[in-house]
Amino acid sequence: MDLENEKIGPAYKAPDSYFKESESRLMQRLGIDMSQLSGSTVSEAKVAVPVAQPVSVPLDTTGVQKRARKQDPITSKSVGINKDLDELGNVEIAPLTFTTNENPEWVNFGAIPEVESALETPLDQQIKKVSYGDLLNQPSAENPVAETPLVASPIAENVVVNGHGVEIPVVDTTPITVEVLTNGTETPVAPVEITASIEIESTIESTTELVETASELVTSQPVVELTDVPVVTEPVVIHAVPESVGLDELESYITVNQPAPTPAKLDVAPAAVAQESAAPKMVEEKPISLEAPATAFAPIAGRQKETATPGWLGVAAALAAIVAAYFIWTAIQPPKLDQEEVVLQQDEATVPETPLDEPAQTDTIPDGLQLVEPLIMEAMPKYKEPNVYTIIDAAEMPEKTKRALQDLEDHGLATFDMEDELFEELDLESL
Amino acid sequence: MSCHRIVSISHFDIAIIKRMSTEPNQTSLHTHSQRLMNCSEEELSQELLREGVGPEIFAEIVRRYQRSIYYHCRNLLVSHDDADDAVQNAFIKIWQNASQFKGESLLRTWIYRIATNESINLIRKRKPTIDFDEAQPEMAEMITEDLYLSGDEIALKLQKAMCFLPFKQKLVFTLRYFEDLPYADIALLTSTSEGALKASYHHAVKKLEIYLNVLR
Repeated sequence: MDLENEKIGPAYKAPDSYFKESESRLMQRLGIDMSQLSGSTVSEAKVAVPVAQPVSVPLDTTGVQKRARKQDPITSKSVGINKDLDELGNVEIAPLTFTTNENPEWVNFGAIPEVESALETPLDQQIKKVSYGDLLNQPSAENPVAETPLVASPIAENVVVNGHGVEIPVVDTTPITVEVLTNGTETPVAPVEITASIEIESTIESTTELVETASELVTSQPVVELTDVPVVTEPVVIHAVPESVGLDELESYITVNQPAPTPAKLDVAPAAVAQESAAPKMVEEKPISLEAPATAFAPIAGRQKETATPGWLGVAAALAAIVAAYFIWTAIQPPKLDQEEVVLQQDEATVPETPLDEPAQTDTIPDGLQLVEPLIMEAMPKYKEPNVYTIIDAAEMPEKTKRALQDLEDHGLATFDMEDELFEELDLESL
Repeated sequence: MSCHRIVSISHFDIAIIKRMSTEPNQTSLHTHSQRLMNCSEEELSQELLREGVGPEIFAEIVRRYQRSIYYHCRNLLVSHDDADDAVQNAFIKIWQNASQFKGESLLRTWIYRIATNESINLIRKRKPTIDFDEAQPEMAEMITEDLYLSGDEIALKLQKAMCFLPFKQKLVFTLRYFEDLPYADIALLTSTSEGALKASYHHAVKKLEIYLNVLR
C-alpha cells in the first residue's frame, strides 16, 4: 500500500448533534449566553420542540417476559413467581413488641426521642411492655403468636373400645401401636399394630369405628382377653413463643420441653399381638398445610444448618505434621564432615584426563551440521545495526555551521530529527 | 465593544460578560456575527488581535475549528471521551489566553498547538510514566470499541497501525496526512525544523505501510 499516493479517509465520524451539544456545553461552562449570538451554530439550528400528540399504537408484547422472577435471598437463585404460593406467604406484620429479659419497668422507653417517631402519641405509650413470662403464662388476644400453637402437638382423643372398656388414645399424624398383652397361659397370636392417621376435623365417630374394627380384629383371635388397664393420655401442650425468638431457640425450646410421643401401652402380657395392615388404607392422610407459620420473621441465619467439620481438614493437618516433622529431622541432623568433601575432591582428581596430543572437541555440533551451518548463516539476512543518530546541539553550534546545516536541509541533502524538547510544555507566547 | 482580557473566569466575570453581551442591541450583534462568519482566517485573526476575544469571535472560532480539533485529538488519543475532554480544555484555554496570541502564525496553527498540548497533558495525566519515543500498541485495542467510527475498514486499520508509531511520528503524520497542514505550519506548531518533520513523516509512512501490509 502506498500511503503517499493513496489517501485513506478518517476512521472517525462524529454526528453534528455531538458537535452542537459540545459547543453548547462549552459555552455553558464559560458562561456565554448563546441566545445572544445569532451566528453560532447552536442558535442557527432550529430546535425541534417535541409536541405531545396522542398516539394509539397497539402494544406489542411479543418477546416480553411474561412471568416475573424473583431472587431467593438465601440461595441467590432466580426463581419464577407463583402467585398462588406467594399469596400464602403474605403475612401482616404484628405490632412492635419488645422482648427483654430484664424487668420491663427498668427499660427506659422514654429515652427514645419523640422526633424519630413522628407520631402524635409518644412512643413509650405506644409500646406495649410484654415480658417473656407474660407471653408464656397469659397469652393475650393482641398476640396471635401466643394463641396459636406453633408446634403440631399431638392431640389426644380418648376412645373407648367397645366391650372391653379400654381407653386408647388416638393421636393424629402419629402411628398408634396397640400392643395387646395376653395372659401367659393363652395361645400367643401375632402382634397387632394399627397405624391411624386421622384429620383433626374428622369426627370422633369415624375414629371410633376405626378402633372398633381394630378391636374386632383383636377379639377375633380365640384366646385374647383384655383386661381393664389404665391408659396414660398425654395432655395437649401449647408452646407459646414470642415473635422475636429465633428458629434455633424455638427448636431447642421444643426439644427440651416437648416429651416424645410414646405409644399407649396396655398392661397385658406380651405373648400375642395381632398385626393388621389393612387399617391404614381406610384412613385419609392429613393434607399439608400451606399456611405461613407464625414465626415467619425468624432470622435467616437461624435456618442455616451447621455443616460438619470437613474431612479434608484432617488430611491437611496430617500432611502439615509430616512436613513439619521432615523439617525438624533435617534440622537436627549433624553437619557434613569436611573430610567427605576432601575425599570427593580426590576422587575427581583421579579421573584420567584426555591426552594432550588429541585436540579437545570444543563444538558439540555434529560434523554434518557443521558443514551446513555456514550455508544456513549465509542464506539468512544480514543483521543490521540500528541507526544511531547523533544529537546535535544547535544552541552551542557556531552560526556558520547552523547556516550550513540549514542549507543542507533546505536542499534535501540532509535531514535532522526532531528535538527532544518538542513535548515539553509549549510556550503560548512563542507564536 | 471594548477589549477585555479574562484570565480566570469567576462569577463576577461571567456576570460582566453577560451584561456586555446584552447591552448592545440585537441588530448590531447579528450583523457582527454575520460578518465574522464570512471573513477569512486572516481577517478573523486580525479581528481577534484588534478587539480581543469576545463571545462572537469565540463562537466563530469554535464553529470553525471545533471539528478539525476534535478529529486531531481523536487521532492522537483514540478515545472519544479523552478527545472530548481535550477539545473542551483547549477551547477554554483559548478563551482564557486569547490575549497571548501574537499573530506571528496562523490562528489555526495556534489553536492546533494548544489542542496538541492538551492532548499531551491528558496522556501524561492518564499515564505519568509514558515515553513519547515509544509506541503505545495497547491503544489499538480501544479503537473498535469506541464511539463514532466511520466504518471504513482500511481507515480503522490505519488507525490501529498508527498506534504502533512513536507519539512524535504519530503527531507529524496526523497533522500532515489528515489535517493537510503544510510543513511550515507544522514546524511552527511543533517548534521543529521542516527537514526533521519531513524525515519523521517519511519514517512514519514507511512504518505504516509495513504495518498495513502485515495487518492485511
